[in-house]
Amino acid sequence: MSINAVMDTIAADITESTKAIFETMIMIPLQHSDPYLGDQHQIRSDVLGMVSFTGKYYGVIAMFCSKKFALKAASSMLMTEMTSFSSDVRDAVGEISNMIAGNIKTRLTAKCGEMNLSIPIVIAGEGLSITAIDNNPVVADATLSCFSKDKWLMLPFTSENEKFSVGFLIKEST
Amino acid sequence: MPKVLLIDDSAVMRKMIQRNILQSGLIVDEFVEAGDGKEGLEKLAAKPVDLILCDWNMPNMTGIEFVKALRGSGNNTPIVMVTTEGSDAKVEEAKSSGANGYLTKPFTPEQLKTKLGNFLLIK
Repeated sequence: MSINAVMDTIAADITESTKAIFETMIMIPLQHSDPYLGDQHQIRSDVLGMVSFTGKYYGVIAMFCSKKFALKAASSMLMTEMTSFSSDVRDAVGEISNMIAGNIKTRLTAKCGEMNLSIPIVIAGEGLSITAIDNNPVVADATLSCFSKDKWLMLPFTSENEKFSVGFLIKEST
Repeated sequence: MPKVLLIDDSAVMRKMIQRNILQSGLIVDEFVEAGDGKEGLEKLAAKPVDLILCDWNMPNMTGIEFVKALRGSGNNTPIVMVTTEGSDAKVEEAKSSGANGYLTKPFTPEQLKTKLGNFLLIK
């Protein structure tokens, strides 16, 4: 299956999986908007939860959200009001990213062959921006620097006026 | 009284699973927690349990490595994989390695109750 064919179907898969995860395990119903291709100038976030995958295809699945939304999701998962960006909140964002990536991977595996997932990485900061560095992919592992100038497929979601996005990058291994 | 070992690198997920088990009416006397397969083996050596719930992707020792190591040691404690890995190949690999059940995240409380009801009593 070509990258273009994957991209044609993956947006619906990501939307469906993300909504199912939030509605089933986090108890936060979501609304979704149309996907778009975003570059580093359009992607701004306080919190990034990221899982990479490797195989015939490699790439990154990431959750971009505000600290406010991260606290809201973690509070719902723990059934405790979280007011500061603690290790539990980072853990919650990582686990959400992990569940999204795992579900997408299962769907991708059926189309693109077996893949391996990384452990989730969570990065937090104020107004964190994601910049793809113009580097040659000199390592096999998927890292942000491997995706020079490639655009993210961005899937926007909303929960009670709070927005977050799931981003997706994919490349064919050489 | 039944003891359950929860092996997952997410402390939040371990808490969520505990809460779901207790809310579903499954009878568990004690939860033992481990953050990866290696710690799971250490906890088991210190305290036998009646059921093990194990994630797949974890640092140090993955869930499938844990299953193979435990079965290789002759321990037959029931293991249910609780993981985002949902492909047929992964399910088959887990079962052929010695896992007794498989539950894919996300799961509903009813799905959890059904899967674990094979190994735990229900109030």
